[in-house]
Amino acid sequence: MKTGTDITKKLVFAVAVAVVLALPWMTGPYTTQLFILTMTYGMLGLSFAFTIRVGLPRFDSAAWWGVGAYTTAILMTKADMSFWLTLPIAGIVSMAVGFLIYRIAIPRGMMVFLMFGMVIALAIQQLFGSVEFFGGWGGTEVIEAPAIGGLVFDGKRELYYLGLGFLGFNLICYYALMRSRIGRSWNAIGQSVKLASSVGINVVRYRMANVLISNFFLALTGSFYMAFSLVAVPATFGLDKSLNVIMYVIIGGIAYSLLGPLVGALILAFVPEYMRVAAEYESIITAVVIILVVIFLPEGVLGWVSGRARPWLLRRRPWVRSVGSKNKEPESG
Amino acid sequence: MDLSLFPQILLNGLMIGGIYALIASGFTLILGVIQVFNFAQGQFYMLGAFIAIAVVTNLGLPYPVAIIVALLATAILGALLYFAVIQWTTRSGFFNTMLVTVAFGTIVAQTAMLSFGSREAVLPPVVPGTLSLGGVTIPNGKLVVIAGAVVVMAALHFFMKTRIGVSMLAASENRDVASLQGINPKRVFWITMAVGCGLCGVAGALVAPVLAASGTMGSTIFIKALLVVLVGGTGSMSGALLAAFVVGIAESFAFHFVGHLGLLVIFVLVAILIFFRPGGLLGKPLPVPGE
Repeated sequence: MKTGTDITKKLVFAVAVAVVLALPWMTGPYTTQLFILTMTYGMLGLSFAFTIRVGLPRFDSAAWWGVGAYTTAILMTKADMSFWLTLPIAGIVSMAVGFLIYRIAIPRGMMVFLMFGMVIALAIQQLFGSVEFFGGWGGTEVIEAPAIGGLVFDGKRELYYLGLGFLGFNLICYYALMRSRIGRSWNAIGQSVKLASSVGINVVRYRMANVLISNFFLALTGSFYMAFSLVAVPATFGLDKSLNVIMYVIIGGIAYSLLGPLVGALILAFVPEYMRVAAEYESIITAVVIILVVIFLPEGVLGWVSGRARPWLLRRRPWVRSVGSKNKEPESG
Repeated sequence: MDLSLFPQILLNGLMIGGIYALIASGFTLILGVIQVFNFAQGQFYMLGAFIAIAVVTNLGLPYPVAIIVALLATAILGALLYFAVIQWTTRSGFFNTMLVTVAFGTIVAQTAMLSFGSREAVLPPVVPGTLSLGGVTIPNGKLVVIAGAVVVMAALHFFMKTRIGVSMLAASENRDVASLQGINPKRVFWITMAVGCGLCGVAGALVAPVLAASGTMGSTIFIKALLVVLVGGTGSMSGALLAAFVVGIAESFAFHFVGHLGLLVIFVLVAILIFFRPGGLLGKPLPVPGE
């Protein structure tokens, strides 16, 4: 019986992977572009969900995303570097600057971290806009699309697969980190700071590691953003974008740190697109949806789906129970 | 440095500081009593400015009436925010509640944009003319803003001494013990929301004759108010008051000398301050919900 569910799971997984791989061949360039955006926002959401595991809500995700984008853009235009070489540099810059700032914020607890995040979000945007070196409010451009050998990532399909590569790398790293020893310490901190420090976990140091890793991946996402948008404008990296990132996570389900942000980003990217409302009303509708989701589905769409689906599966096939409880464990936090 | 500009910059700092004081004390009040991080604070400020402009220019009523209308309207909207949304979400956590206030703020801001238009609007000066004081000319409008902020802060101070004010403090100290003493927490909470949001509405109405009102004025001022709260210490009202003027004057000087990078300068200064004085200038750090 157990092998039966394993095969079902593998089948579902294989079909999902096949669908994701075949998507750009089934849809037009516009929809593919939407999927690329969804992946970018999903990666931002993943980084947010990563720090929320240690109880730190970050309101500066878009700012570090911008740091990655700007590092790539400036290294490519001013230092004439290749796209791939700028990736680790962007990550390291974001971690180094983040370390200086969070050295002050993280030991002061969640509330100061949160307010610091908002101020950083505004300050970094101002820095990009006001300093001439970064191209001012008009932004800075790159001309060259990334390429390996003869393969140039300039079409929508190529960019889709490039994004898939970035997303896969993010997911694998986050999954491995969450399953490791350090991931268990993070979970302990997220459940209770007092309890975690009483069993000998250095809360500040572990939180710092978590936030800096999240910073690294945010900057990578920024570099990927440069690959498909080819222009970085300060207005993109404002506080409102960071707030949107949080909405993806909440709508998907905050307890589902890997799948939740992706589902949330997918919903928020495609639903307004198909509702065809005027742009002025779009943000009002999104806001109303957020309020309704928080009041009526506090565990997000995925939490609602699994709450609905699990009893139904249990009634039909009692043997699902063991698998269900095994799956539940790493997800809840 | 041109010394003749010094009093002007100082006056600007005092004016901005007064506005920050109103917004930041409303914010700390709500955070301390209901433990809600009210993100919509800045939008209530914007709404107050637009309501004051609409009352004066469209209805032709005098400016003091406009201030009172702005106060009442934002206070009612704040209570509405509590009854319609926040009371249902506090159970699902600090963070979810905060997100809901973000969404509510977006609704308020967008509705205001759609109904008042996205162009900038400004009231004609209420008290025109200037005051000459020892060779320094001071526009009367700015003095009115400072005086208004002081009056409102004094009113808040006496309000906190009344029965309802004391029960607000009691509820922020310990919610369970307060309700054992016969304080109705729900009543305290909606009144706190109304007062906190009303303070922002008054702040908006006060600046309407001096600064141009626009749809984006809310989110920027909210971040500045957060800086004030960081400097003053989370949860300390008198700390917020002192910090508001410190930040306001520092910002006024920084903007005069380095332009838009002034915000970065302020941020670095605040970071250094927090590094050496974790509790801010006066405050003791507030117990953080969920930690």
